[in-house]
Amino acid sequence: MFTYFLRKLLYTIPVLWGVVTVVFILMAVVPGDPARIMMGQRGDPATLARIRADLGLDLPLHRQYTKFLGELLRGDLGTSYRSNEKVSVALSVRFGATLRLAFWAMVLASVLGVTAGIVSAVKQYSVFDYSAMFLAISGVSAPVFWVGLLLLLAFAYNLHWIPGVGYGDGQAIYLILPVLTLGVRPAALIARLTRSCMLEVLSQDYIRTARAKGLAEKIVVIKHALKNALIPVVTIIGTQVAELLSGAVLTETIFAWPGIGRLAVEALVARDFPMIRGTVIFMALIFLVTNLVVDLSYGFIDPRVRFE
Amino acid sequence: MKREMKVFLLFLLTFGVLCMAGAAFAEDPVYGGILRWREINDPPKLDPAQATDTVSSRAIYLMFDSLVENDSDGKGVLPALAESWEGSEGGTVWTFKLRKGVRFHKECLGESTANGGREVTAQDWKYTFERMVRDNSPRAYFIEMIEGYQDFVSRDETGATEWSGIKVLDDYTLQFKLTYSFAPFVSVLAYNSFMVIPREDAEKWGKEFNFHPVGTGPFMLERWDHDQKVVLKKNPDYWRKDDKGNALPYLDGVELVVIPDNTIAYEEFKKGNLDAFQDFPDEFYVEAKATYGPLFRERPWVGTYYYGFNNSKEPFKGNRALRQAVNYAVDRERISDLVIEGRYPAGKGVLPPGMPGFNPDLKGYSYDPDKAKALLKEAGYPSGFECELQVNNNPRHKAVAEAIQAQLMELGIKLNIKVVDWGVHLDMCERAETQMFRMGWVVDYLDPDNFLYVLLHSSNHGSKGNYSFYSNPEVDALLAEARVETNWDKRIELYRKAEQLIVEDAPWVFLFHYSTSLLGQKWVKNMHLPAMGDYSTPLYNVWVTKK
Repeated sequence: MFTYFLRKLLYTIPVLWGVVTVVFILMAVVPGDPARIMMGQRGDPATLARIRADLGLDLPLHRQYTKFLGELLRGDLGTSYRSNEKVSVALSVRFGATLRLAFWAMVLASVLGVTAGIVSAVKQYSVFDYSAMFLAISGVSAPVFWVGLLLLLAFAYNLHWIPGVGYGDGQAIYLILPVLTLGVRPAALIARLTRSCMLEVLSQDYIRTARAKGLAEKIVVIKHALKNALIPVVTIIGTQVAELLSGAVLTETIFAWPGIGRLAVEALVARDFPMIRGTVIFMALIFLVTNLVVDLSYGFIDPRVRFE
Repeated sequence: MKREMKVFLLFLLTFGVLCMAGAAFAEDPVYGGILRWREINDPPKLDPAQATDTVSSRAIYLMFDSLVENDSDGKGVLPALAESWEGSEGGTVWTFKLRKGVRFHKECLGESTANGGREVTAQDWKYTFERMVRDNSPRAYFIEMIEGYQDFVSRDETGATEWSGIKVLDDYTLQFKLTYSFAPFVSVLAYNSFMVIPREDAEKWGKEFNFHPVGTGPFMLERWDHDQKVVLKKNPDYWRKDDKGNALPYLDGVELVVIPDNTIAYEEFKKGNLDAFQDFPDEFYVEAKATYGPLFRERPWVGTYYYGFNNSKEPFKGNRALRQAVNYAVDRERISDLVIEGRYPAGKGVLPPGMPGFNPDLKGYSYDPDKAKALLKEAGYPSGFECELQVNNNPRHKAVAEAIQAQLMELGIKLNIKVVDWGVHLDMCERAETQMFRMGWVVDYLDPDNFLYVLLHSSNHGSKGNYSFYSNPEVDALLAEARVETNWDKRIELYRKAEQLIVEDAPWVFLFHYSTSLLGQKWVKNMHLPAMGDYSTPLYNVWVTKK
């Protein structure tokens, strides 16, 4: 397993380099001059030239690229054109908020989704099954911003159970609605997949044998069936975690949540190259790490899995 | 007592009682409380030398002061940190007497500042201006007419160690020597880039000064939670006093609360989580006006919204009749009423109401489809023509463009609308890669020069402001003459002549003038919306009755 882990870690290097290079090239070809945007609508050419020189934008592209790579290898993601904030500082500050939101959203989604999926599978074609799957399809289809708005209108602005939007001073009450909003879709996906995997496993011969031997249904489902159904579910949980950790810009916008999603979008609009590159590299890292953790977890879930 | 005398005495008594009752009900300011002001995004820059957006400007107006400031009704400039000023030598020398006893902030982010709260002197102003050049401020060139600007900019070649045209005559006297007489010079100094900062803190923090801003304004930075809020607390040493000599500001602090979504921001306001909501969105305009009445403040903003023709390329190059035809084909009032609830009044020319020199008798373009058809024929397009209109990505701009597209279609003018983001839009306009483009211009300083010269003089083609690449030597001469003319009435006459010629040439479709809006809660008192825009609303004399 250690060799597998090491190999996977080494694979991340060319993947990251590819991401970094593609992002650099895209920023070079996309229209819009960051120095021009910084100056605003009115700017004299001489000042514009000086600002571009200050930012290193007057260098030939290949020199900009090598300079950027050199800084990256030293762990320097650069400084935001827009706000003069160190990109690494900006990311670390916003990531905390994103992590908090993503963590609780996934906890909610996993617990709700897996539970609903198991019960739906065990009680297939029951009222619970139909209701749960109807809600799951709705959850997958409903736009996130619409769900967020509805929750806010209901609980914050009509019932006044929630104080409002924003991060507050980190109080948990501000987390409730954004977690619900963000968790709905992953919960729906997880519920549907869990149900589908459980149904497949529950129809296996060994399950019939376990029941025939007189084992309690709870033991049959949780101990014998669930473990075998979990691998695809863990995969999807992994991808959802990676997606949420990369920022949820719609949820962050609706709830004025200071996360990475909004940071990335604002950087794009302002052509803030260092921030764009920094957020993309960060998101790529998140996906790579999450995939690695998911891969390694297979061995714990299913002892038959061998890492080669 | 005669009957008339009794009536008179009764009148006096009644009048006296009413006056006393009025005085009793008149509100006295109340100290304390926090005002929560909504922002659409985190301010990118809190360094006045570097900020170019309105969100940053809102914060900067609260933390810094300039030499002079704009009158709230846009009627001119008033003393701020300069008590008085005098022009001499044909308007090429300006001498400012500084206010004594103005102190820099003692605190920033809860820690003591490097300057220790000392008094502002003329040397600080010289440092501030020179720093703008050293740090490549995007707005330093606004005052390039001060002698020595180019030498100081190119100091690596010239060896200049200071900006020679800025002189410190003594601790409280600052002098500017200009290379040419520039009549709007004092107005320009009211712009929010030219605000004094302390050398000690600027040198201590370098580029990080953006995160440790120190000024002389009514509020100091207490905390900055990025993408959440900027928390400002009152400056206990603020130089301004109210009419009765009491200390200002009344508020304990201001919070600039970041809420990106307009719907949510309005709900937060209705719930009472926000005290002030600026630049009110169209979606809720009618409802808010009806619900809040006088608490919804609105007034003309000194700005103009237009579609520029690319006067350097076909089909509009050299074809005045075609440009005029498009102007006659647009029903501005109807479009404003239908699309934007009448928020933008129709515009006839370049200068908006509120700008000195605005000409209410300007001969502009009315909606006249018959005249438009005749001009199209004269222009060589009797059946109409096709062209592309580029607008930057914004729901209001798109809605207006679609309405105008439909209207022009009636005359056979096919307008293809292209929507791009702001950065791309600026780039393409600057390189004359559009046929028609949407643009708006809002006042930097209260002088017609800021509109007519910047946007339409041929020396400003491209990024300097003349995106329509308009050129008329007669207009150029009038505008150049007005820049150096010191007699105000003569200047206005020159600008009005120039504007009439411009309107006749029709380098733009003259569409609307802007309005500015500010919604405040009923417990927010003495908050007045200025002509320079909602983001410059002074808060030093505002108080709240609900804590």
